[in-house]
Amino acid sequence: NNSYQLSSVPLQILFYVNGIYYIFYFLATLAMIVYKSQVFSYPDDFLAPDLALLLIMAILEVLRLYFGSKGNLTEEEAPLGLSLVITVGSVILSVYFLVWQTYVLKADVIINAVLLFTYGLESVLKVVAIAAFVS
Amino acid sequence: PPETRAAARVRPRSAPAPVTDVAKLCVCDLLVAQCDVNCCCDPDCSAADFSLFTTCSVPIVTGDSHLCSQKAAIYSLDVEANPPERIFKLIDQVNPSVFCIHATNYEQALSFRSPEMPTSENFDQLLKRFGSATFSAEPDNWNMNTDAQNPSDVNETYRYEYGVPIRTVDAFLRLPSPVVSSWCSDANPAGFLVNQATKCTRSVSVEKCYNVQAVSMLFYINSSILAVNITVQSIVVQSLNGMRTLLNGSDVIRLPMILDELCINIVLGVSYHITYTDAGEIIEAAASFVLGAINNEVLSIQQSFEISFTQVNTKPVPLSGNPGYVVGLPIRAGFRPQGYPFPVEILFAALVLNTNKYSQLTILQSTSHQDCLAAQGARTPILFGYNMISGCKLRITAAMKCQPLTQTLLDLLKGQSFPEYVASFGNSQAQDVLDWVPITHLHTSEQRISNTFQSSCQIPVSLEIEVKWTKYGSLVNPQARIVNVTATITTTTLKQLPSGRERTIPVTSSVVFTDISSPAEPGYKAWPTINARLPFDFFFPFV
Repeated sequence: NNSYQLSSVPLQILFYVNGIYYIFYFLATLAMIVYKSQVFSYPDDFLAPDLALLLIMAILEVLRLYFGSKGNLTEEEAPLGLSLVITVGSVILSVYFLVWQTYVLKADVIINAVLLFTYGLESVLKVVAIAAFVS
Repeated sequence: PPETRAAARVRPRSAPAPVTDVAKLCVCDLLVAQCDVNCCCDPDCSAADFSLFTTCSVPIVTGDSHLCSQKAAIYSLDVEANPPERIFKLIDQVNPSVFCIHATNYEQALSFRSPEMPTSENFDQLLKRFGSATFSAEPDNWNMNTDAQNPSDVNETYRYEYGVPIRTVDAFLRLPSPVVSSWCSDANPAGFLVNQATKCTRSVSVEKCYNVQAVSMLFYINSSILAVNITVQSIVVQSLNGMRTLLNGSDVIRLPMILDELCINIVLGVSYHITYTDAGEIIEAAASFVLGAINNEVLSIQQSFEISFTQVNTKPVPLSGNPGYVVGLPIRAGFRPQGYPFPVEILFAALVLNTNKYSQLTILQSTSHQDCLAAQGARTPILFGYNMISGCKLRITAAMKCQPLTQTLLDLLKGQSFPEYVASFGNSQAQDVLDWVPITHLHTSEQRISNTFQSSCQIPVSLEIEVKWTKYGSLVNPQARIVNVTATITTTTLKQLPSGRERTIPVTSSVVFTDISSPAEPGYKAWPTINARLPFDFFFPFV
């Protein structure tokens, strides 16, 4: 253990991988919504909330990764705590896309499950890092 | 039975729920309480019926194939067994695609909507939405445009096409005409733009003077063409010996009446003149009458009827075809007056409607005595398509001078007023200058040996009019159109005769019609081309 460095390297690696994966997730979900609207009956009343929530999720993800990375590198617990709070919102949105979407395809289930797993792992590492910074 | 009565009292609020259990769904079960042939899912069939089947018409019944996992009922016939029996299996069918529907939160996603059942409350609203020929999916912005249409006004003027019977208030405008025999029949309707002239016999006597309606003026002007009254244009009274007098005050209707054992004011002829616009509406109708008288011995009279149509703001000119010339109708010709660029035919046409000698091309008419000088002025109009030749013999004495003889012969051949222009179409209007063909004049001499040094007398002996015409228009209905008219005067030398002697030379004039229409050329459609084009900036970074 290097006592002069408190930043968590695994957390940083996870942030990096999460960013790349999220870009893939966003494009895949958007493409599948377009596919569903062409193949199935997808009225506007149901299409608009799905697209809006996807957009909100993308914004939240960007903020979350920025604050988390900043907090981890500057060894401050405030941004890291904010990122943890935003993670809760992202988890809720991911669960929406897993369960409460208009059409849940098998591919949706797969990518959302991976995203939720990543969020869970990140949350654990963030708590550990905050504990390390505070003490 | 009380169960059915109870069931009848309960009114269903919606259509029966659709069957979604695949085990109970059978599309080939059409006959109620009877076994359908080759229908393996029919619950009415027994094992004995299944043994007689050859195949299963419905082998599998599944739900929506987009779902990731769905129930399926499989029916098959086991032909190996004796007797053959039906096999029914209920399995879970799995869709291997990664894009199969795992779950859906939208109830109507995979099934058709049940339509609303009409009840007494929503019937009017449903009728408004679905009662017409078309209806849209959104009933809110469905506009009721059909109510805004006004019903067509009955008082609007009626537009006619060629040949359509002219409608009057009660029936049609009638032009009595002979049907089978020469007796008049009142059932002949007058067609729009169809100029007719008929003659028929009507049975009338002095005793029946008041009874026969068709000899009274009222019969012909009583029925008014829709919105247009028939006015009396002129009345001509014909006396018993045939002398006709035009009456001055012609707006009085003269009814038949018995006077001194004569029945006067009997209609002998009616001539309708209808004025129409170029839109096909009749704006004016006028009738000219010829009234006569009959005495006791007369049992029947001959009536003549005529109808003619004139377009408003044009002068009525008899057409020789519409538009191409009709064979047998006279060729229309005219002059160009000094200073005016259009023929003066329109001034002459106002005077006489039927025969207009000034506007026709005429040719010398042969007479029985064949003497040119005695037959001054007898001319016959040139009819389209009929080649004519006529002539006479001229007796030349020694005393005749050259110049007066030349002038006399020219007058004989060409007539008093030889026109300058010929109409190229049968219906050419005087205002359209380009529709008129100028007559080309040529002079040829009979003697080929040109003794031009000798100033001898040249007298015209022959006029040949050659009319070149062509077929114009469509191949199925070609119209004759005159392209060129050439008048060739052939002259011969008048040799000086010794006194006392006389010579007879023939003078001829002829008309020849030549068809110069070019043969029809076949026209083919262009080959279809492949129109494949890349967008303008397809190779954008490179080009």
